[in-house]
Amino acid sequence: MKYMISETIVYLIMAVIGVLSTIAVYMAIQERDLVKAVIYSAVQSSFYALLYYFLMAPDIVLVYLPVAVGLIPGVLLILISKTERWEKE
Amino acid sequence: MKLVELVLLVTLILSIALLLTFAYMYLTPTSEIRNLAVFYLVTTYNPQLPFYTVNSPEAVTAIVWDYRGLDTLFETAVFYLALIAALALARKLYVEATPEFNKGNEGLSVIVKTVTKITSPMIIAVGASIGLHGHLTPGGGFQGGATIAVAPMIIIIVFSVLYLLTKRVTTEKMLLLRSLGLIGIGLTTISAFIIGLTAGRTTYVFQNMPKFDAPLGLPDKLNGVLISGTLWFFNLFEMLAVASGFTMAFIVLMLVKKEG
Repeated sequence: MKYMISETIVYLIMAVIGVLSTIAVYMAIQERDLVKAVIYSAVQSSFYALLYYFLMAPDIVLVYLPVAVGLIPGVLLILISKTERWEKE
Repeated sequence: MKLVELVLLVTLILSIALLLTFAYMYLTPTSEIRNLAVFYLVTTYNPQLPFYTVNSPEAVTAIVWDYRGLDTLFETAVFYLALIAALALARKLYVEATPEFNKGNEGLSVIVKTVTKITSPMIIAVGASIGLHGHLTPGGGFQGGATIAVAPMIIIIVFSVLYLLTKRVTTEKMLLLRSLGLIGIGLTTISAFIIGLTAGRTTYVFQNMPKFDAPLGLPDKLNGVLISGTLWFFNLFEMLAVASGFTMAFIVLMLVKKEG
């Protein structure tokens, strides 16, 4: 029974993280300021990294964190700096 | 309007999450493991099975660079082809003369610069640790290299790309490092084969530990430290190549002239 409760707590935490990451995706799509959208996307990536950690895949966490939180937002910020910051209607 | 949408979305997701949370009772993973997984778990570090084991306690790295090493080699090749394509697209669009860099005028504020100066060596140290311990703990060459590549990217954004160039981190040097990494990966794939050639015994390309019909292989320990044969060298060279490749791509991206 105790084992079941601890398992359920892990699944609950994963469900909450999934909800939060989906909200971050929604915010990233709705945001007109592209820099903020990139930051929301990075937040979503960190939630995904946490999910991978709870799914017991530390190797994927180690790929996901530098690539999705470090490198991709960096490249996107460089690209935004070469175009316009605000999305048009 | 936006608030209503958000509330609707959250309720929808919460209900799905609730369903999933309760559905787990019917989806509980059993303690039985599939035969394939049992094979990997039993053979990944098992000195009692000398012709099957990889001598690496990290099953993921063992699978990536030993059991299915050829796959990973081609993945590496795909990554480098993509980098070469990026460089080819940007060719003749950037100038790489090392210009004089006037200190203090470029980049962000002093606070950000100081924090970057402190954290970037830490990032590189963590990346090297992830890469070089790839055969012992979760991680490996690509993970370590990608982590290291974050440091030059932060430096480019905080200090400007000219700062990196005045520190003599140029695309030519990164190309040299990347080629060194690629040559290292190539030599590591045929290292067991060369050992067999010199000793006059049967060995295979991409062989790591001794096998039944090829009793010569790479040592699992070097001076008492576990290196798991080729795995450590693969991780080292992959880390070099990935870190320098990403750095080169960032420098080229930032150097491309705005007026075209």
